[in-house]
Amino acid sequence: MKPTGPVLRLVVALVYGFILIPIVIVLAVSFSADNYIVFPPSGWSLRWYGTLLATPTLFEAFRVSVMLAALVTVLALACGMPAAFLIARHRFRGRDALFGFFTAPLLLPTLVLALALLLAFHPWGLAATVPGLVLAHLTVTLPFVIRILTTAFANLTPDVEDAAATLGARPFTVFRRVTLPLVVPGLIAATALAFLLSFDETVISLFISGPRLQTLPVAVYHYVERRTDPAIAALSALMITGSIAIVVLVERMVGLMRAVGR
Amino acid sequence: MSHVRLDALSKVYGSNAPAVDDLTLTVERGEFLALLGPSGCGKTTTLRMIAGLVPPTGGTITVGGADVTSLPPYRRNMGLVFQNYALFPHMSVADNIAFGLEMRNLPRSEQTSRIAEALAMVRLEGYEKRRPRELSGGQQQRVALARALVIRPDVLLLDECLSNLDAKLREQMRIEIREIQRRLGITAIFVTHDQVEALTMCDRVALMDRGRLAQVGTPEDVYERPANRFVANFVGRINVMRGEANGASLAVAGAPVAVANAPRTQGTVDVMVRPHRMTIRPEDVAAAAGENRVSGTIGRIVYIGDVIQVAVDTPAGPLVAERTTTGPDWHTLAVGQRVAVAWSAADTLVFPPEAR
Amino acid sequence: MSLLRRPGMLWLALPATAVLLFTYVAPMFGLARMSFNRTLPGGAMQPDWTLATYAEMAADSFNLELTLNSIQLSFTATTFALLLAYPVSLFLFRTESRFRSLLAIIAIGPLLVNGVVRVFGWIAVLGDRGLVNSALLALGLVSEPVRLIYNWTGVTIGLTESLLPYMVLALLAGFGRLDREVEAAAMSLGARPWRVFVRVTLPLSLPAIVLGWLICFILAMSAFVTPKLLGGGRVFVLATQVFEEAVDTVNWPLAAALSVYMLVLLLLFLGAYGALTRRVER
Repeated sequence: MKPTGPVLRLVVALVYGFILIPIVIVLAVSFSADNYIVFPPSGWSLRWYGTLLATPTLFEAFRVSVMLAALVTVLALACGMPAAFLIARHRFRGRDALFGFFTAPLLLPTLVLALALLLAFHPWGLAATVPGLVLAHLTVTLPFVIRILTTAFANLTPDVEDAAATLGARPFTVFRRVTLPLVVPGLIAATALAFLLSFDETVISLFISGPRLQTLPVAVYHYVERRTDPAIAALSALMITGSIAIVVLVERMVGLMRAVGR
Repeated sequence: MSHVRLDALSKVYGSNAPAVDDLTLTVERGEFLALLGPSGCGKTTTLRMIAGLVPPTGGTITVGGADVTSLPPYRRNMGLVFQNYALFPHMSVADNIAFGLEMRNLPRSEQTSRIAEALAMVRLEGYEKRRPRELSGGQQQRVALARALVIRPDVLLLDECLSNLDAKLREQMRIEIREIQRRLGITAIFVTHDQVEALTMCDRVALMDRGRLAQVGTPEDVYERPANRFVANFVGRINVMRGEANGASLAVAGAPVAVANAPRTQGTVDVMVRPHRMTIRPEDVAAAAGENRVSGTIGRIVYIGDVIQVAVDTPAGPLVAERTTTGPDWHTLAVGQRVAVAWSAADTLVFPPEAR
Repeated sequence: MSLLRRPGMLWLALPATAVLLFTYVAPMFGLARMSFNRTLPGGAMQPDWTLATYAEMAADSFNLELTLNSIQLSFTATTFALLLAYPVSLFLFRTESRFRSLLAIIAIGPLLVNGVVRVFGWIAVLGDRGLVNSALLALGLVSEPVRLIYNWTGVTIGLTESLLPYMVLALLAGFGRLDREVEAAAMSLGARPWRVFVRVTLPLSLPAIVLGWLICFILAMSAFVTPKLLGGGRVFVLATQVFEEAVDTVNWPLAAALSVYMLVLLLLFLGAYGALTRRVER
C-alpha cells in the first residue's frame, strides 16, 4: 500500500501552487522596471531596490522593528522560561489554571486585544512609545514562548535529572548541566519564532504606534493603503527572504516542526 | 551489622492506599538483595526512597549507621541504574561517567584513571567518545552501570535495568552484573518483577505485595518454603487443589493427603504442588510409602523441549506435571490415557484459601 | 521529583504573571469598562455606567449587516481553507518523502510571511494588470480585466490563504488517531481506496476537521488586515468597523462595545461547537 496516490499528489501540488503564487509573484515584481504593478513586467531592473534605500521612513521603521523584536524576544524568554519550567516540571495546585492564564491571550482575537491595549496604554502614556510597543508585543509573544517551552521542558524524561541528582549534582547544577542543554532545541525555536512573531506583528502595532513611531509592517500597511508600486514588492521580497533565512537556520539547527511539537 | 536498614518505611500518595506500607528490611554489607514483586507492589517506590528521589511519608532509612532519611539525593552517594538507563544524551560516554566524579571535584588525573577503570570493568574500552544514541541497548546498560559504580557508591541500586534487553543479552548481563558486584563487594539492591532474575542473581529475595513485605529469604527459602499463598503463586509455577483440613489430617477430593508440615487451620484450604515435583505413574502400580497420588486422564501434552507438560484431568481438578525428555520412555504418554499423578508429602504446601 | 515539590518555587511564575496582568488582564477589564461609558454629542467621552452605547449599537441596522457579512465571509473562507488543507495535511501525514519537513514548512509558510506582504502579493496576482488578468487577456478569454480585488472575491481568496496554515496545523495535530494499519485492514476486507477514505479515514479525522474549522472560523471573524487592504474600502465587516471606530472616528465606547459584541458572538459559536461535539460523541 503506497502512502500517497497520484490523485492526492496532484491536488496537493495545486494547493502548493496556491500557497506559493503570491510569494513568487512578489519576488518577480520586485525586479520590475515598470511604475505600476504589472505582471508580467515590461522590463527588469533593480531600480525599486534603489528607491527603497532612498526612503528614510521605511528605513527608520525597519530599525524600530528589529530593535523591538530583539527586546521583545529577550524579555519573553526571560519571563517565559522560568514560568514554563515551573509549569512543566512542578506539581502544585492550580497548575493547570496558571497554564490557562498564561496561554489565554492566544485564544483572544488579536483585534480585540489590540483595542484593549490602546484603551489602556493611552491614558498611561504608553501609546506610541517604545516601552508601550514592547509590552504590547509581549502580550502575544510571551504566551507563545511559554507554550513552546512548556512542551520542551515536559518532553524531557525526569529520569535524566534524577540520575544527575543521584550522582551528586545539586538542583541548580542539574538545571545548568542537564536540563538546560537538553531544551536548547526548544529554546532556539522559541527565540526564532518570538522574533518573527514580534517583527511581523501588524494589528497590535497598528493600534499602538503613532506617526512618529512606526514598525515596518505598519509602514508597509500605510504605504499599500495609499498606493501600490514595486517598491513595496522589493521591501516584501527582503522581508520574505529574511523570514526564510530564519526558518532555514532554525530547521538546520533543530528541526522546526519537531521543536514546535508536531 | 546491617549496612542498609529500612525501618517502618511508608509512602502514601494523596488519599490512595499506601504505595509502601510499614516496610522493615535490612541488607548486609556486600549482600545482593532482590526486591521482587508484581508491578504496582511498591518496589520501585522503595528503591527511589532509598535513592532520595521520593520522600517517605513515614519511617527511616539508615546507611552504614547514619540516618539518611532527610538527605537530598545528591548527598547520599547511591549509584542508581535506571530502567531506561537515563544516560545524558548530550554527553559522550566518558562525560556521562565523569559527571559524578566532577560533582565530587576529583582532580582531572584521577577522573581519567577512574573512567578508564570503569570502562574496562564493563568492557567498553574505546567507546569514550561515543554518544549514548550510537550505542546498542546492552552497551547503554553498561555505561549506566559504569556511571553508577565509578562514584564508588555506598549502595548500588538497580531498577528493572535488564527488562529492556533481549533474552540472550539479559542472561549475559545477569552473570556480568553479579560478577562485578561480587568482585567489588558492594551492597546492591535490585528491583525486578522477573523471578528468574531475582532467584539467579541475588543472595536474598524480598517479595513485596501491595506495599507490604510478603517474605524475605534466600532464593531456596522463597521457592521451597514460601511463607504464604502469594509467594507460592508468584515464584515459579504451581498447581492449586482445593482441600479440607481437619486437625492434623488433610483430604483432597475425598482422599487423604500426606503433608510434611501439618496445616494449622481448619476447613477449606489450598493445597499447592509444583509441576516438576509431580510425577506421572501407571495407574495400576501401587503407591510408594508416603506418596500422595490421584488418578486421572491425560487431557493435553505440551512439548517444550527440555521438558513436556502433561495436563491431567483429575477429581482434584486439572493438574500439570512436568517431566524431562531425557530417556526414551516419555513418548509412551498419550492424550486420553489413564494415569496416576504422584507427589511426596514434603512437596505439599498448604495455605488458607485466597481471601477474595 | 521531590526537589521540585517545594511551594517556594512559585516565584518562577512571577515575572510572566506580572507582565500579563499589566498587558492582558487590566486592558481587557478596561475594554469592558469602556463599553459602559457615554459618548457626548460632540464626540467627547464621559465616564459613566450606561448601556447607551449598546442601545445605539443595537439600533443601527448597519451592525446587523456587518455581522452577516462577517459570518458569511468567515464561513466561506474557512470552508475553502478546509477543502484545500485536508489533502495537504493527509499528504504530509502519510508521505515518507525525505522532503517532508520542507513541504510541511511551505504549507505553514503563510504564517511566517507578514500579512501585509501577503496581501500585496495577492494584489500583484489578482490586480487589473496582475498575473491572472494578464493571462485571461492574453488567452482572449476576456476583453477587459476582471475585477478580482477590492471586492469580496479578493478578500475571500486572501483570507482563505491566510487561514490555510492554521488549518493544516490543526488537522495534522488531530490526525494522530489515523492509523495506516486500520486503513490496510479495511482494504484487506475488500474496500476500494475511495471506500476506505469514506468509511475509515474521514470518520476518524472528523474531530480534527471540526476543531480546525472552529479555530479558523474564529480567526476569520476577527481578521482585519486582509478585509481592510484587499477590500480596498469596499468590504465592511465587524473587524474593520472596530478599527474604524477606534482609530478614525475615535469613538472608544462604541469600539469597545463592538469588540464585546464580537467576543460574545464567538463565545456563542464555541458553545454551539461544544454542544455539537457532545452530541456527536454520544
